[in-house]
Amino acid sequence: MPFRIEVLGRRHRALLDDFRNQHSSLENYLRRFALRHAEKDLLARTFLAIEGSAGTESLAGYFSLTAASIERSSVGAIESLQRLPGFPIPAVLLARLAVDQRLQGQGLGRYLFEEALGLTLQLARVGPVAFRLFVTDAIDNGAKEFYERFGLIRLGDEFPCRMVLDLQPLLK
Amino acid sequence: MKSSPVSRFQAQVTPTLDEELNDLRERLGLRENQKADLLREIAALAAWVIRQAEAGRKIEARRGREVEILHSPAIERLNRRQEESIGARIALSDTEVERLAEIFDRGFALTPALRSVLSNLADPQRKPPRLTWKKTAA
Repeated sequence: MPFRIEVLGRRHRALLDDFRNQHSSLENYLRRFALRHAEKDLLARTFLAIEGSAGTESLAGYFSLTAASIERSSVGAIESLQRLPGFPIPAVLLARLAVDQRLQGQGLGRYLFEEALGLTLQLARVGPVAFRLFVTDAIDNGAKEFYERFGLIRLGDEFPCRMVLDLQPLLK
Repeated sequence: MKSSPVSRFQAQVTPTLDEELNDLRERLGLRENQKADLLREIAALAAWVIRQAEAGRKIEARRGREVEILHSPAIERLNRRQEESIGARIALSDTEVERLAEIFDRGFALTPALRSVLSNLADPQRKPPRLTWKKTAA
């Protein structure tokens, strides 16, 4: 069955309850916060992979994007900081990416990642502001390995671990 | 006359809390007239714990194979808030800053998967995968 990508809106509310994922936080975010963050708080935008036509639609997966700012938690002297751009560093945060567990292993996660990175590169190329990093938080080891295949590098050791992709070489 | 924050605090604490604070003061080797120092020490320790929790780290004490996890309603509240938040302001620890500096220093080599992603994105005929719903166990 083919599917399409749509921006989450009120009309999708009925689809959200049937979404199943092994991480309850990814189900909860979609059901309780994604719509509020998108429409009321304007904190993040969520994109849905929807399968089927009106009346028989199912939610196959989703991802959420938001703008982020990378800062330092402490201000101790670090030699390497001299080599970094001045903080804060602007970034696009892939805040959530999840595939319904009944559809996992069929390439949907990769397709959603492509969509998320594609939108980010488009924004970084022609948008009114600059972004240096594409950032995500890997929820477990499987997610970490998934993102590592696409060149993201982990910054932390514990889960959820922060992972980054430097966009600069992709924008040249 | 305006009372100091410390004396206001002393007036508010219950005898049990006062007893616990006295116990902590003694264990930290502070004298009876050093209650302000005690509060500063406790605030510094609490700030460290909260900062770790805010960074999404689990807080636990380890000795060999023994592990004791910190159970605290305040930390649970904080974790719940973290789960709900979307993290628009990301604060990196010093170690994470070091790693980020390495990434910028090292430069960039496209992985085969990323190369394929970029080539798919440039393809006007790009198609999504076909999906089949798996049945789940009843």
